[in-house]
Amino acid sequence: MGTFIARRLLYSIPVLLAATILVFFGMTAVTDPISQIRLQPNVSQQTIQNIIDRKHLDEPVVVQYGFWLRDVFFNQFGNTALGDQPIWPDLSRAIGNTMQLVFISELIAVVLAVVLGVFSAKKQYSFFDYATTTISFFGFSVPIFWFALILQALATWFFLETGFRLFYTFGQSSFAPENAFIDRIQHMVLPIVTLSYVSIATYSRYQRASMLEVLHSDYVRTARAKGVKERVVTMKHALRNALIPVVTIAALSFGAVLGGAVITETIFAWPGMGKFFIDALIRGEVYTLMAWLMVTAVAVILANLVADIVYGWLDPRIRYD
Amino acid sequence: MTEPVLSIRDLVVEFDTTDGVVHAVDGVSYDVHPGETMGVVGESGSGKSVTVMAALGLIQIPPGRIVNGEVLYKGRNILGLDEDELRKIRNKEIAMIFQDPMTSLNPVFKVGDQIAEALLVHDDKLTDDAARKRTVDLLEMVGVPNPDRRFDQYPHEYSGGMRQRAMIAMAMANQPSVLIADEPTTALDVTIQAQVLEVMKVAAEETGAGTVMITHDLGVVAEMADRVTVMYAGRVVESGTVDEIFHNPKHPYTLGLMMSLPRVTGEMQKLLPIPGNPPSVISLPPGCAFHPRCRMSEGRELCRTKVPELVEASPGHMSACHFPDEVAIEAKREASVTGLEV
Repeated sequence: MGTFIARRLLYSIPVLLAATILVFFGMTAVTDPISQIRLQPNVSQQTIQNIIDRKHLDEPVVVQYGFWLRDVFFNQFGNTALGDQPIWPDLSRAIGNTMQLVFISELIAVVLAVVLGVFSAKKQYSFFDYATTTISFFGFSVPIFWFALILQALATWFFLETGFRLFYTFGQSSFAPENAFIDRIQHMVLPIVTLSYVSIATYSRYQRASMLEVLHSDYVRTARAKGVKERVVTMKHALRNALIPVVTIAALSFGAVLGGAVITETIFAWPGMGKFFIDALIRGEVYTLMAWLMVTAVAVILANLVADIVYGWLDPRIRYD
Repeated sequence: MTEPVLSIRDLVVEFDTTDGVVHAVDGVSYDVHPGETMGVVGESGSGKSVTVMAALGLIQIPPGRIVNGEVLYKGRNILGLDEDELRKIRNKEIAMIFQDPMTSLNPVFKVGDQIAEALLVHDDKLTDDAARKRTVDLLEMVGVPNPDRRFDQYPHEYSGGMRQRAMIAMAMANQPSVLIADEPTTALDVTIQAQVLEVMKVAAEETGAGTVMITHDLGVVAEMADRVTVMYAGRVVESGTVDEIFHNPKHPYTLGLMMSLPRVTGEMQKLLPIPGNPPSVISLPPGCAFHPRCRMSEGRELCRTKVPELVEASPGHMSACHFPDEVAIEAKREASVTGLEV
């Protein structure tokens, strides 16, 4: 397993290099990196010339790429074009904030989805099964911004009715809270509910389908014919097999979500990766955007690695040597 | 004769489907005595597997439904026992070997652990070490080479024949009194089939169990069985000793099965298949279910209107045909067509 992880990490290097090429040349093909800055009336000609010198924009694109690559790997993504501020402090803060949201909401989503999926499959066509199915389809179909707004409206209504603030609808923390931890949780609940609801809807459908398939398989019949208790048949013999597809979906979407839950973070003003991306886009900060793209690429690569490791643990047919 | 160890009496099993009620098993009875092998023969869908699955409570209810009957294990009716009681009987008293060894073992657990589990679930006091030791012995008994190393391998590291040996080891783990083998050789290469049958014999001798050998392969029956039950469309159409069934069949379906069997001795001959297809078990033909395909019944009123009872045609030989004595004449006629002799 150790050699497998080492080898996969080595494989990641060319993938990462390919990502830098796509990111940089894609970006420069789309736009002049400082076109937005040029348009701003209060930016002097001298400032623009300074940026061109600093970012070597008067040199060939390949040379620009070389300088950018050096910044990415040895200089923590370098500095912004306008203002010459380091990108990494803001970016790392955004990563941390998004991690908080995504880890917790994905964890809740996977655990709940597995439980719901298993019970739905065990009690196929029961009231419970139909209820979960209905709620899942609702989760599929509802636009995420609408669901988030409804949650905000409910929280606000609760506050106005009772005068007690249960959940905050905005931001990450209050100014000078009494208890920083509880204050953070009050801020996190609504975005987490929003994010995990959509994930639960998807994952639980996969879990239900794969569990149904496994419960009708020959080896589950063998386990029953052996005299194994039904609970053990379900939780040991069936579940281990039925988890494999769900792990794939969850790990892969986990990587994607680390790039930021753009809509959710924007609505709840959560200063994470999604909001970081939108802000950089609006300000036309190309170097910040490229840093964001690289972080997302790394997240996807790592999530794939984790998925492969979990596979190997669940399914001995997948060999890593 | 000794008391039967397993006795199935008038079992009726139905399944609700969107197309209608499937009469999968329709009044099936047979006995298995200790140490003997009962061959159960029939085409796909004749209800031979469902009979034993229902006996062990392994069919899904619903859509399945046990309408009638008794399954007497050592004189005690086990049909419709609650799940916990049935669990104690499964593998410990009545063990099953399934058709497809490629899918019958759980791909994510070690083969040895899967066999050891059969021991551990029926014996709370058994330690893991003792279970492992016994499992290695079992693997050795069924002819798995290097059993100690094989214990820790996963099913995908086993060949088909080895997997079926492992399944047999699992079935004999608790020294059951009844072994049920549901088409144990069907999914295997011909060269492996003979080996697995040998292992089945070892398992039967080792456990002293009565064996139910479900198959559609008359060769397997001839090789293994002491007595034979022939099933068609959910009913028993003929039963008797293996000699009687092979040399003196009393039902045209049994005769048809034998005429469609290729022979390796003598000249090359044409096979004489049974015409038509097995009937839909949702809407059985009226009268004798076999009459639309029967060479003897053509035009006979009785075959179309009256369901034949399973009655003794000669001592110890039961047949569900209105004209059991004509089967011998028909056999001679068909033999003259094909040059075959029954």
